[in-house]
Amino acid sequence: MTSITPPLTTQEPPRRAPWGRWGIQSAAWTYVTLLLLIPLTVIFQDGLKGGLGTLWQSISMPIAWSALRLTLWTSALMAVINAIMGTLTAYVLVRYKFPGKSLLNAIVDLPLAIPTLVTGVMLVVLYGPQSFIGAWLKDQMDWRIIFAPPGIILALLFVNFPFVVRAVQPVLQSLDLESEEAAATLGAGSATIFWRVTLPALWLPIASGALLSFARAIGEFGAIVIVAGNIPLRSQTAAVYVFGEVESANRQGASAMSIVMLSLAFAMVLLVDWLRKRGRKDTEE
Amino acid sequence: MKTTFVKTVIVFIVINLLTACGGQAKTDSNTTKLILGAYTTPREAYGELIPIFAAQWKEKNGQEVTFEESYLGSGAQSRAIIEGFEADITALSLDGDVQKIADAGLITHDWHTLPHNGMVSTSIVAFAVRKGNPKNIHDWADLAQPGLEILTPDPKTSGGARWNILALYGAALRGQVKGVAANDEAAATEFLKSVLKNVTVFDKGARESITNFEAGTGDVAISYENEVLVGKQTGQDYELVIPTSTILIENPVSVVDEYVDKHGTREAAEAFVQFLFTKEAQEVFAKHGLRSLDTEVAAATQDQYPAVTDLFTIGDQFKGWEEATPKYFGDDGIYTKAIVEVQQ
Repeated sequence: MTSITPPLTTQEPPRRAPWGRWGIQSAAWTYVTLLLLIPLTVIFQDGLKGGLGTLWQSISMPIAWSALRLTLWTSALMAVINAIMGTLTAYVLVRYKFPGKSLLNAIVDLPLAIPTLVTGVMLVVLYGPQSFIGAWLKDQMDWRIIFAPPGIILALLFVNFPFVVRAVQPVLQSLDLESEEAAATLGAGSATIFWRVTLPALWLPIASGALLSFARAIGEFGAIVIVAGNIPLRSQTAAVYVFGEVESANRQGASAMSIVMLSLAFAMVLLVDWLRKRGRKDTEE
Repeated sequence: MKTTFVKTVIVFIVINLLTACGGQAKTDSNTTKLILGAYTTPREAYGELIPIFAAQWKEKNGQEVTFEESYLGSGAQSRAIIEGFEADITALSLDGDVQKIADAGLITHDWHTLPHNGMVSTSIVAFAVRKGNPKNIHDWADLAQPGLEILTPDPKTSGGARWNILALYGAALRGQVKGVAANDEAAATEFLKSVLKNVTVFDKGARESITNFEAGTGDVAISYENEVLVGKQTGQDYELVIPTSTILIENPVSVVDEYVDKHGTREAAEAFVQFLFTKEAQEVFAKHGLRSLDTEVAAATQDQYPAVTDLFTIGDQFKGWEEATPKYFGDDGIYTKAIVEVQQ
């Protein structure tokens, strides 16, 4: 999803009416302030009410800490799988002609339109202990998908599928075929071409897509609350933990965890931004 | 991040809408509007009770009374009312949730002066088991058998789930669990842990938990008797098991002073609350799986609601919610510690 953080270039409109520009600028700022900045400030203020010490205390409680760890490792694993499979999908979409290609291209964005809660219910129906697959896996391999971490990863993979594909696709499309052809005339096999020529040009969009999906996964709630089982220290993620704290009137604990999640996600977004800037510099040189 | 943001906006809009609606609740002489903020379980019962009350009110006062009903988890409803959802009447799952509204200064009268201490219906903590009871679950001790899969809602999110934990713990303390000595807190805690070890899903609320059970997850769901009975009424084929010893779930009701005075609906709201204690209303509760407090109705429905051998209340076993909540569910509470130790 390159559209989420487009490169920040400034295209100055023609200078005619200076206060028209001012008006537009202040409208944008007011909107962002009302809708984003103020609510975010309130969350920060709430979580930091007792100072950093209290925040740390809330986060380092075993249940909170394990929820955070579970969220981070499942999200990270999802991001890695998503990076590989997303790149593969984008490659197929750009480089091959086959029937149903435009359908596949449209399907990629569908997870964004499905309520994540529905995603969760669907996964339980498909892999839950009462389903054929779920029961078989449990009896034969003693492997639990739903109400365990694999279910969390599946849900995250589904929900975040578009990110890497949509980050890699445009770059792959605009990629010059000359260097690949040159490599081929020099006798490189198709695998070598992919690894040595194509992939190096793609690592920036892959990384930014994966990081964005990671940032998005940290806060995922709807699908996870259904599939995870929500057992503290075993299958409770940070977002579901926050919900529990809100419900049991521990707003400070909820805000503290939210601040950590927010900061992590924000760091990811900044990193993506930095990667993109670097990518542009590289191509300019 | 995006979803959190969207949620914040939605919550913001919803709260505004709710307050806006509440603000418009005005009365004139011919019509009056009452807002009911209740927990989810008695929804069907209220659906039947409201038209009966409205007809009676019209006959007596010539006034049309309409209702706006909101059903949420007990804790969430309590919070919504405190944060400005202007319910004239509140009916919640436990005393503590009404107490929170009183503590916020919105209920100024002593709501325990109503009949039965302000409790309008009761139920008990019981088990739902699969048809034919294949795992042989008859009492609390059976829940500790290794490998059993138990569903119970999360005490963090479901005020009602706390009834389940205290029912188990109380039964253990009273010497009603095989192998656990009476009044031995350490032994009771060990027993709690061995049951918690078998919990496979902590759902958000009692409703979600039983729905999950209905969908085929788990061997047993610890739930309210009324949830199980209502499920059976709708054709589910699981069975109800009542343990030897269990807790009496008491559901309070109250008029919210601040909001009835603001809306000018005190008279109608109080009449509705009084109506809930009449024999006629109690029969409706009994029809929807809730144990009636009216002695006559209780006697008439005793086939449907068998007596429990050792029934205790939150008051006589745990000195009320005010004491039990921090002791069991606080940061250093017995349950909170147990759930951590089980996973380590």
